[in-house]
Amino acid sequence: MDTSSPAVLVNGDLLRGYVGQRVRTVIQVVRPEANGLTGRSTDEKQIVVKGQMPAPLTTFVEVIGVADSAQSIHAEIVTNFGDSFDTSNFNQLCQLANGEYRHLFI
Amino acid sequence: MLLFLYYSMSTSTHTSVPRQIYPLARLNPYQGNWTIKVRVTSKGHMRHYNNTRGEGCVFSVELTDDDGTQIQAIMFNAAARKFFELFDMGKVYYISGGYLKRANKQYNRVDNDYEMTLNENSQVEEAVNEPIIIPTLTFSFVPIDQLGPYVQQKELIDVIGVVQHVSSTMSIRRKADNESVPKRDITIADDTMKSMIVSLWGPLATGIGSKLLDMFDASPIVAIKSLRVSDFGGLTLSTITKTIIEINPNSHESQKLKTWYASEGSVATFESVGSTFRPGHTNDAPSMYSDRVGLEYITNNPSLGESTPVYYTTRACMSFIKDDQAMYYRTCKTCNKKLTVNVGSAYSFLICRKTQTDPNFRYVVSAKFSDASGEAWMSLFADEAETIIGCSAADLDIMKSKPDGSAYQTQLKKAKWVPHVFRVMVALRAYNNDRRQRITVKIVSLVDYAGESKYLLNEISSTQS
Repeated sequence: MDTSSPAVLVNGDLLRGYVGQRVRTVIQVVRPEANGLTGRSTDEKQIVVKGQMPAPLTTFVEVIGVADSAQSIHAEIVTNFGDSFDTSNFNQLCQLANGEYRHLFI
Repeated sequence: MLLFLYYSMSTSTHTSVPRQIYPLARLNPYQGNWTIKVRVTSKGHMRHYNNTRGEGCVFSVELTDDDGTQIQAIMFNAAARKFFELFDMGKVYYISGGYLKRANKQYNRVDNDYEMTLNENSQVEEAVNEPIIIPTLTFSFVPIDQLGPYVQQKELIDVIGVVQHVSSTMSIRRKADNESVPKRDITIADDTMKSMIVSLWGPLATGIGSKLLDMFDASPIVAIKSLRVSDFGGLTLSTITKTIIEINPNSHESQKLKTWYASEGSVATFESVGSTFRPGHTNDAPSMYSDRVGLEYITNNPSLGESTPVYYTTRACMSFIKDDQAMYYRTCKTCNKKLTVNVGSAYSFLICRKTQTDPNFRYVVSAKFSDASGEAWMSLFADEAETIIGCSAADLDIMKSKPDGSAYQTQLKKAKWVPHVFRVMVALRAYNNDRRQRITVKIVSLVDYAGESKYLLNEISSTQS
């Protein structure tokens, strides 16, 4: 397993803390774009994703890539996560993974 | 004249040599000579025991000094006999020559890292010029319908209620040392419309307990301090050596109860908390998250289900199944009774005496399950076994009878390491002279991952608070 550049689990809010770093998150697809998509994070923030998308797209996707800015990710891997996803669970996971349990993740 | 005065001064009587008094907070096992000046704020009754080292007696006192620090002092045998009459509640004593060691938190609830043992050579002297202050008992009563959270917690609780019933004295044999201890159960009720059984042990059963029996038709109010809450038989309150019982106390709470009882309590019916409060006892409409435990909780508690079976839910995977066990038995299609194998390919049986070549198959499986906490052997029958194994017992029999057993092996292999949520029944079964724990799967459900995650997140946040 290649652990050389681990991706930090983030939601919309946490993304700003990792600009320039590798991140991963699950977002709900709002609108597909020419070169990516616009999505809504599990904490209701807008996130723009640039890169190659799977086709067809399901309602939820996981994005792994480098954070461009506080609201966008340059995607390396985008994976369809289906049409039903519990966003509040994922959101709490992000908070735990970046809070007192971050040593368990990165 | 001056000489005379000086002489008389030097011979003036000092019954006690001026001592250096140590604060309790400074005492430790490495301290040499010390003397403490303390008040007895609690005195337990004398307990007699009989263990592998012989017979003995023991009692303990709680000592408090001027700074408010407390420590427990224990005395055994000769020392116990020597000091039992000497120590009185509320009196002050100079004590020296005791031996300190780390407190045994299982038996000692006093807030101090150390506890003291006094032997026959310890010195205990009453400080006669000190006023006797018997600490007024402060209670913080827990209403009977709120006892649940205290089960199996270390915290001792206080209760107050109207006595509804007093049993006769029972003699219970203590497993630890084969000693017989008297016990009496009293039922108390309060204005939460619930009633509760309190077990009185030892001198409390024979002393105050018999007093309550005599006056029970007057519906006395009892206020009890320092009760242990355990989950034996659902929920029980038990007295310990330092429990104090007050009959018809003069307190505000007592008056309130008396008024309530006179107006409506005496004709009310009370719901017994002890028998209905069973965290794992109800098997009707449980949710997948009620009574959740890890497998280790069940296997680490060999007395679970001692009186009646208890029920829990748990999430686990089957990790091991013996492929050479008899996983099913044949039953008669008409009366569903067990068949005995017969000659050839026909089966006959005991009960309805028919012979059949095409019986039903019913699962009876024993397999090992694992979760994050540990592992346990569980039994599965009928539909539950079919869900886990993934095919009917009849189909499994067909696979097993094939000369190439690979389909059978594959079926069993596929059944392993698939997480499910189980509703299990834990009971004790007699095996030879022993009673062994037996876990039976009653319901199997698939894992709802979103629900499980929510449950786990809840568990995490409750450990954080």
